[in-house]
Formats: sequence, structure tokens, C-alpha cells
Amino acid sequence: MSSLPHIAPSTNPENLIQSEGFIPPTPRITAIRTELLSTPYSICLERPKLLEEFWRSKKGRQSAKTEHPFVHRALGLQYIFSHRKPRIYDGELIIGNMTSKRIAPNYYIEGGSINILEDITHLGKRTIPLKLTGRETLELLRIGLQNSFKSVGAKAVLRPSRFSYFLDFFRAKRYFVTEEAGIGHQVGNYRMVVQEGLLYPYEEAQQRLTEGKLADGSLLNADQKEFFRSVIVTIDGIRKMAENLADEAGELALQPGVTEKRKVELLESAKACRHVPFEPARTYLEGLQAVWLVHMALNLEDFEQGLSFGRLDQILLPLYRNDIVQGRLTPELATEITASFCLKACETIPLYSERIDKFYSGNGVAQALTLGGTDAEGNDVTNELSGLFLHAYAQVLTREPAVHVRIHPLTPDWFFHKSIELLQLGSSRPSLFGDTAIVRALEEAGMTKAHARDYAVIGCVEMASQGRTYNSSDATLFNLPLCLELALNEGKKFHGKARIEGPRRFGAPTPPVSALKTFDDVMEAFRSQVLHGIDDMVKVISWLEEAYRAIRTTPVNSIMTQGCLDKGKDVTWGGGLYDYTSIQAAGLADAGDSLYILNKVVFEDKRFNLEEFVRILRDNFRGREDLRVELANKYPRYGNGNSAADRMTQLAADAFADALWAHKNTRGGQYVPGFYSMTCHVGFGKVTGALPNGRLNGTRLSNGLAPIDGSERLGPTAVLRSAASLDSKRWMNCYALNMKFDKQVVQGETGRKALVHLFKNYFAQGGMQVQVNVLDTETLKAAKKDPSSYPGIVVRVAGYCAYFNDLQPDVQDEIIERTPHGIG
Amino acid sequence: MGSAKPLIFSIQHFCLHDGPGIRSLVFFKGCPLRCIWCQNIESWKQEPEIAFKAHLCINCGRCVEKCPEHAFSEVGKRNSRFCRYCFTCTDNCPSGALTRFGVSKSVEDLMEELRPEFSLFKTSGGGVTFTGGEPTLYPEFSSALAKNLHAEGIDVTLETCGLFNLEKIRPLLQELQLMFFDIKVFDEARHRKLCGAGNTDIKNNLKSLVNDWNKKSGPFVWPRLPIVPDMTDGYDNIKGWAGFLNDLGISFLTIVPYHPMGANKRRWLGLPPTHNLRIPTDEEIHSIERLFLNEGIKVYKPGGENIKEHYTGA
Ligand code: SF4
Ligand code: SF4
Repeated sequence: MSSLPHIAPSTNPENLIQSEGFIPPTPRITAIRTELLSTPYSICLERPKLLEEFWRSKKGRQSAKTEHPFVHRALGLQYIFSHRKPRIYDGELIIGNMTSKRIAPNYYIEGGSINILEDITHLGKRTIPLKLTGRETLELLRIGLQNSFKSVGAKAVLRPSRFSYFLDFFRAKRYFVTEEAGIGHQVGNYRMVVQEGLLYPYEEAQQRLTEGKLADGSLLNADQKEFFRSVIVTIDGIRKMAENLADEAGELALQPGVTEKRKVELLESAKACRHVPFEPARTYLEGLQAVWLVHMALNLEDFEQGLSFGRLDQILLPLYRNDIVQGRLTPELATEITASFCLKACETIPLYSERIDKFYSGNGVAQALTLGGTDAEGNDVTNELSGLFLHAYAQVLTREPAVHVRIHPLTPDWFFHKSIELLQLGSSRPSLFGDTAIVRALEEAGMTKAHARDYAVIGCVEMASQGRTYNSSDATLFNLPLCLELALNEGKKFHGKARIEGPRRFGAPTPPVSALKTFDDVMEAFRSQVLHGIDDMVKVISWLEEAYRAIRTTPVNSIMTQGCLDKGKDVTWGGGLYDYTSIQAAGLADAGDSLYILNKVVFEDKRFNLEEFVRILRDNFRGREDLRVELANKYPRYGNGNSAADRMTQLAADAFADALWAHKNTRGGQYVPGFYSMTCHVGFGKVTGALPNGRLNGTRLSNGLAPIDGSERLGPTAVLRSAASLDSKRWMNCYALNMKFDKQVVQGETGRKALVHLFKNYFAQGGMQVQVNVLDTETLKAAKKDPSSYPGIVVRVAGYCAYFNDLQPDVQDEIIERTPHGIG
Repeated sequence: MGSAKPLIFSIQHFCLHDGPGIRSLVFFKGCPLRCIWCQNIESWKQEPEIAFKAHLCINCGRCVEKCPEHAFSEVGKRNSRFCRYCFTCTDNCPSGALTRFGVSKSVEDLMEELRPEFSLFKTSGGGVTFTGGEPTLYPEFSSALAKNLHAEGIDVTLETCGLFNLEKIRPLLQELQLMFFDIKVFDEARHRKLCGAGNTDIKNNLKSLVNDWNKKSGPFVWPRLPIVPDMTDGYDNIKGWAGFLNDLGISFLTIVPYHPMGANKRRWLGLPPTHNLRIPTDEEIHSIERLFLNEGIKVYKPGGENIKEHYTGA
């Protein structure tokens, strides 16, 4: 951390936040961070054990028999909230332990946690080791096996009539269903939590029950009554959890050896946790503490992925300003509290077996903050707190939380520059989002303009109007290029694994290649395969939705989503004001480029007839390496500002979007597309055959909205131009456009200004999102050793930028050794 | 030669170190100098050239098979005596191992190629930089291109080695606000030895251009000096240039530390490697900065120039 540029404390808070450099971390923050970074990961078994305990208890058995499933579920959650052991760690200013371990995932019986049993024999020896004692490992095995049929996934597809879907589901070729693990992915109504407290939904629920009516005057039906009861039970549980923490803090404060300063802090925390999240927050500290406590409850309820904080720079601003005016707080202190909050987010990781990790590696859960942007009328509302959050994150630079910045035409320069300055530190945060294109897409998906302008990012890139949306935003990842393989082989893979699939058809029965006479025929077959894949996937998801409604309702999420109290419905029953299911495509550029090249070589240039060409693909270019290399190198590609190539990528995207927009989920919500792939493009790549663009069988697919690695021949301006040229109006769930730069290219003020202009221009042309990696020498060294893991790094070579992997090893060495003159 | 259509050997976008803002670089082929540290060896000849990047070759044999003159003895090995530069081999090479340097482009072609970047030039205060090679070898063409760009509100900057006939490039200069003028070795004989030509004309050109600027009848001139250990970094060389610049009233310059990026290009073009060249150390760079500073000259790194601070014009 000592490498951060330090700036002297300033008496002018605006200068402090806006000028160059970042406020250095206090020793406390450094200490917590160091401890977290050196803590091994484990698995927390407290939640499943408490849940089992509840199910076995008299009250639990009773409620299972007599209570409505909503209330039975809420009682289970209440039991977990109120019986978990509070743990407070050294020095932290925001308290509340995510799990019973310092860093661990929860084990969710109702979700997909069981996949971890695949690694049970070697938990400590995985690439990402999980440290458990022998007893814990046995306990984990027991919990997993005894409850294996209690998950929503098992409920949804383990039926004889659904067996073929089960296979598809399990093999993850066409799509990978995340929703099986949990829905998570939410930006709750933290504005309500901070400004009104849970008191508001609590009293609202009581009033509904007393009146026997909804707010609109209609009579409550039985389900609605039980829903309101579940709200009350759940909030009681959350209050108890906060109280237990307050008691613990109070006790710790009295321990011998506690410094006077720490004692005051602990008592302050105790006071906060006795007040929030039930009552409205009175101070900045209480505001953040309230957010954290409800965030914990959401984590304990469903699962950990994508649970996001929303626009805290807006929500907390009145408290912050008031504290400053009252003289209770300085910007430095607020930064420290905020950094402590950020570090809390490091306590959770996802629970993936190594098999699943192929699709999601990186161990992130993406607890997202969204900063900057506009109000409902479109006025800029970037403020000092937006900047302060950047300072706080600069002090920790950890994988969590995810930091996202909204850019619009009126974004103040200082904030844009500060965001890029943070990027220059090399942590790849923040990601940048373009309000203009995003608000347009959200409106297209049915939001009012005002609500669309109050968007916040869910997890990595997904979208919600904060506190109003139930978006199963990462329901499924979809393998788009595979649909082309299926289209060229009557719905079968070129080479299925003989025993499981043989030549089994799992796609649509499209015509044989001999009958595909024109490019339109090919497109038609491709579209049919996409439709067929989406249809099957929608079926599987509908069964999951059913299972959720039966056994995994989410009262905390419902309290946090506007619409539920009005309708008297859980979010899983369609209570949310806005409801979506979002599907992400991987391999968009591969699909687009392949369509382009196939059309060119077969139908335009007539170098091959389609049957010949498909035979070459089927043979994985065996004996035709020259052709493969030529296809990969010598044809126009998406990402070079070439409108003909970009148009094909749009066609591929449209096929996907059309198929999704034709569906509604069982809650009545719209299916919408997004384009990002976690690391799914690697997993999907392994099961996808050779493609017309020269990509070999089994190799990685393109990532999100990015061009294929190495095909961006004209550099970053052309990539951004191509991306911005795509019509994203119907892509409600946004996309990820990943760009990598060598630190040498974009360092200092010159680099900062250039990136600001580059992205300003991109957003003005219609870009939705961009994320930037600024890489240093160490990364380049690693990239040289293992090029395939580091594709697409832009480095500066003699006056221009090149892709690192394209350079000869000796040139790579030269770049690595380049003395820091800032030139090539 | 003046009216000849030049060959362009590269166009690079998103360049941040060759003038203000975000720029695109147009590389003209052909150079009157032969500096032994040159990093763009493919820029020397005005004629097209063919490079062979062995690390990309997949041994497919297309080059041997397709060459109408049977100029290849084996894959990638081209005998230039038989070659008549029909480019069948580079067109057919699937991997890009055989690469053509130098394509003839019209002003219109270049305008279309650059046009997508215009909005970025305008918002970032950037533009197009002519470089090479030596753009002034083609006075008519480069001034026509500059005029066209200028007419669309695009800023044009020139990077030059300084060896040109000043009268011939006046029309080009009229389109420029700023030019980077490379100086290298102060001593005439040594310049001749290391750069392949004397420097009297170069010095005279620099003098005249600075005078023009002072009379507000030419572009702002910004000198740049490559720092090549044992060639341009000697005390006498620094002192010599510092005195020269001071006489002209110039109190700033950019130094460009040598980097052996051109080494692999030499190999691609079948040229022997240059020896005795190395990257200057940080200490060497700092001591050069100090030397100049003692003479009242402020030193910048490429891309870091504070042009406004020194720009005394309108
Ligand atoms: S340019 Fe033409 S003649 Fe020369 S080597 Fe290539 S194919 Fe043969
Ligand atoms: S055509 Fe290109 S890739 Fe093929 S052998 Fe010749 S140089 Fe190598």
C-alpha cells in the first residue's frame, strides 16, 4: 500500500477528494486488509446446521405441519438470524460477521452448494484450497448427503419425465443454469433501510393484517396474509441478529486490555446495532451499518452472488453532510469507515467445485457499489461522497466490493478523472457505465424514465432500478456459437462423446447442409437452434421458479423490493415492481465472425460449397492448418470498426435477443439478454466444435462483448467504435466489454486524459459499459510464461500499441524490462 | 520525386506520445538518413519491401508454391534478385509471416481511413501526426493530405528528421501548428558517420524554422533528441545542442530514450543486428536532464510535453 501516492490532509474537503492522489489508508485499515489477505478460505457450516436444528426442533416440526410454507420458511430464517454467533473482529468500524469463519462461503442446502462434494477428498489441495478440519469435512459430507434432495435444482429436474433436460442441464453445453444455485443478484431498497428503517415494512405488514386489506383496498387472500406474517417474522429475526451483535460489542468493550479508543468505537457500534436497521439511521456510521446488516440477512437468505448495495453515494449523502456540518465527522474519518465497510465485503466467497469454477473462476461474488449518475430528472448528482467512495476503495484494492461508475454527458470532469486514476492503480476498478444507452435499454424493457435513471448495477454488469426490481439477472449463461455448430449438423454436435450422447440430437431438427442453399437458409437454421435452446432452457427455469415458490421464498428480498408490500406477494411469486429473467450469451464475436466468414467463403467467394466447408469444420481443420490460419488472420472481424463484420455480430445478437424477448417467466416478467460470460467462455469453449472463423474445437470462446483475442487489429479506438455501433436497445441486462492496457501506455496525466476522452467518446457513440485492466510488469511476466491465460494485453511498442501475445519472446522481454520512462 | 505518391507503411491509432491529445500516426516510407539506432528500419527505402516474420510461419509452403518467379528457395526464404514485387506471396501467406511494408494510398484513401477517429481527435485535442520515414520527401502529397485534414478541422503535426528542402515544404508548413524536429549528433563528421549524412542543412533548417516561428510565419517548432548511450548522450553533444538551442531562444526539448524495438524488424528484413546499443539507465537519463536544465533547457518525455507553457504564439 505504500506505493499509493500520498497527499497531505487538507482543510478543504472538496480539494481533498477531487485533487490528484488518494487519501492514504490508516494503520487500522492496513491491518484489517493484511489480515484478510492472509486468511485461508474455509466453508461455514453454521447456516445448514442451524437450519437442520430448526427443522428438528419442536417448533420447526410443528410449523412444517401447520404453517404456510412462507411462514415456515421465514421461521427458519428467523432461527438462523437469531441463533448465529456474533463475531466482531479487531479494529473494524462496521460490524457483523458474514459467516462463522473469517472468510468463507455459506453452505446452502436449498441451493447448489452440494457441488462442493465433488472436491471432498482434496479440499485443501484445490487450486483455491478450502481449509476445514477433519471433523468439519465429515460434517460437510453428512450435510451434503442427507440434504441432497432438498435443493430447488433437485426438486425442479429430478423427475423421470424431465430426464433429458436434466442431462442438458448437467452437461452445460448449450447453457449453464446459475439459477439452480440461487437467484441472489439484487440491489435492494437500501434507501428505505437507511431513511425509514425496517420499521416501515414492519408496520406496513401489521397494518395490512389488521385491516385485512391491501393498500389499494382489496381484500387479502390467504397467501397474502401469510406473506405479511412472513415479513414480520423475518424482520424480528433481523432485529435479533443486530441485537446479538450489539450485545457482543458491548461485552467486548468491557474486556480487560481494550484501549479507551477501541472501547468508544465498540460502544458506538453497539449503539448503532440497537438502533438500525429497524429504525432510520441517524449518522453516516449508522447508515453504513444498517446497509451492512441487511446485506448480511440477504446473504443468509438465498445465496451470495451479486447482492449489491446500489447508489450509496446518493442514499447516504444527507447523513454524511449532516455529520460534517455537526462536526461529528471529517472526510478522512468517513473514508476510514467506508474502507472498513469495503473490507467487510471480503468476508464472503462463492462455493464452487473445481468443475464449476471453470465457468466462474475468480472467486468473486460482486457486491456492487454504483457511484455517480443522475437523478430522476436527469440532473447530475455526482457528489463528494461519490469521490470519497473511490478514495475508500483505493485504500483496499480488494476483489470485493465491485465498484461501478455511471458516466453521462454532465459527469463532472474531476469524477471522471478520479475514476480513471483509480483504474491506473491496476485493480481493474471501477467499471464504467454509459447512462445514455443504459437508460434507453431499461425504458425499452418497460421501466419509466425516472426509474430507469435510478439504475444501479447488480454484480458485474447487470441492471436494476434500485429497490424496485426483481431480476434473476444471472439465471443462465448461453452458448451462442454452439448453435451454429448445431445448425450445420441437423441439431447434433459434430462429435458427441459416444457413450453419453452418441450422435444424439439435442438441438432443433434443422435441415441437412445439403439443403441449405443460401446464407439465409443458414441463418434460418441458426435462429432455429437458438430458439430451440432458449425454449428448453426456459422450461428448466420455469421448473426452478416453481420450486422456489414452493420451498425457497425470499422474504428479506421481498421486503427490499418495492411492489411486494403493495401486492402482498413474495418476489418469487411476482411481487416485484419490475420483474425480469436475464440470460447471458457467451461467444458473441465468435458467432458473428463465423457467420461473416461462412457467408464470404461459401456463398460470396464460392471457394467451397457448404458441404465441403462443413466437412473441414467437422475434421477440426485437420490437414488444413493453412486455411484455418488464413480464416483467422485475413478476413474482416468484429472489433475493427468494419461495418460489414460488425453487422454480422449484430445479426447473431439479434437472433439471441429475439428468442428471449419472445418469452416471459412464470412470474410474468420479461426475458432479456445480456452479453457477458464470467469465465464461461472457457467452459463453453471446451464443448464447442471448430468454427468457420478458424477457432479450433475445444478452445476458448470470445468473452462478453469483446472481439476475439488477437483479432482487434486496429487498436482500442476501433474496438470501442465497433462495440458502440451495435444496437443495444433491447439488451436490458447490459454487457461486459473488457479492455487491457499496459500501464506504460496509460499512466500519468497523459494516459488519464486520453482514457477519459476515449471513453467519453465511446459513451457518446452509444457504448453501455467498459472495464479496463491496467497491467504492470509482473502481470506481463506472467503473461509471457502463460500466454493463453493473458490474451489481449495492449502494450506500447515503438510508438504504437500492440497485443503482447503477438510479440516475439525477445520483444516481450524488452517490454517487460522497459525502464519506466513512459515511452516505448 | 516531389509529386510522387508515397508508400505508407503503417497507420497507428490511439497514440499518446507524438503530440497533444489522442492522435493517429501516418508512417511515410523513405528516409534520407540512416541512423544506426533506427527503430523503424522498414521506413528507410522508398520502395516496397517484404519482411519474413519467422515466428508466425506455419510452414504451409504456399509462398514457395505460388511465387511466379520461383524466388523462394524454401519457405520464407526469398531471393530478392528474382523477386519482382508482385506480392502474390504476401497476399497468399495465411499467417502474416510474409508481410508487405509499403502500400500506395491516395489522399482520399487516407482521409477515409482516418475519418472514424476524427471525433476523438476533436474531443481530446489530438489529431494526425505525419511521421515515418520522412514525410517531407513527398511535399505535394503531404501538404495535400494536411490541407484536407485541416479543412475538416483536424490538427496536423509533423515529425521530421530535419533534412529537407525548406522551400519545397512551405505549403505543408502552412497547414501545421506544431512540428517535432529531431536533432541527433551535434558534430557534423560524427553525424555523417552515425546518421549517414551531414547535419549542416538540418541545423540551417532548424534555424530558419525557428526564425519563421518568431516572425509568426510558420509552425511552432519543438526539438526532440534521441538518447542513445555513447552516441548522443556525451557531454559535448548535450552541451553543443544546448548552446545551439539557447542561441535560437528555445528553452525546451523532448528526449527519447533509445529502446531496441527495431531489433526484430531488422531480422524480419534480413538485416544483420546492430551491436553496441543499449537502453540508457535511469541515472543516465537524469544526468542528461540535469545537464540541459543547467543550460536553462527544460526536458520532457514523449507525451508529457507541456506545449502550452512554451507556446508563445497567438
Ligand atoms: S513478391 Fe512476387 S515475385 Fe516476389 S517473392 Fe513474392 S510472389 Fe515472388
Ligand atoms: S506462405 Fe507464409 S506461412 Fe506459409 S510457409 Fe510461406 S511464409 Fe510460412
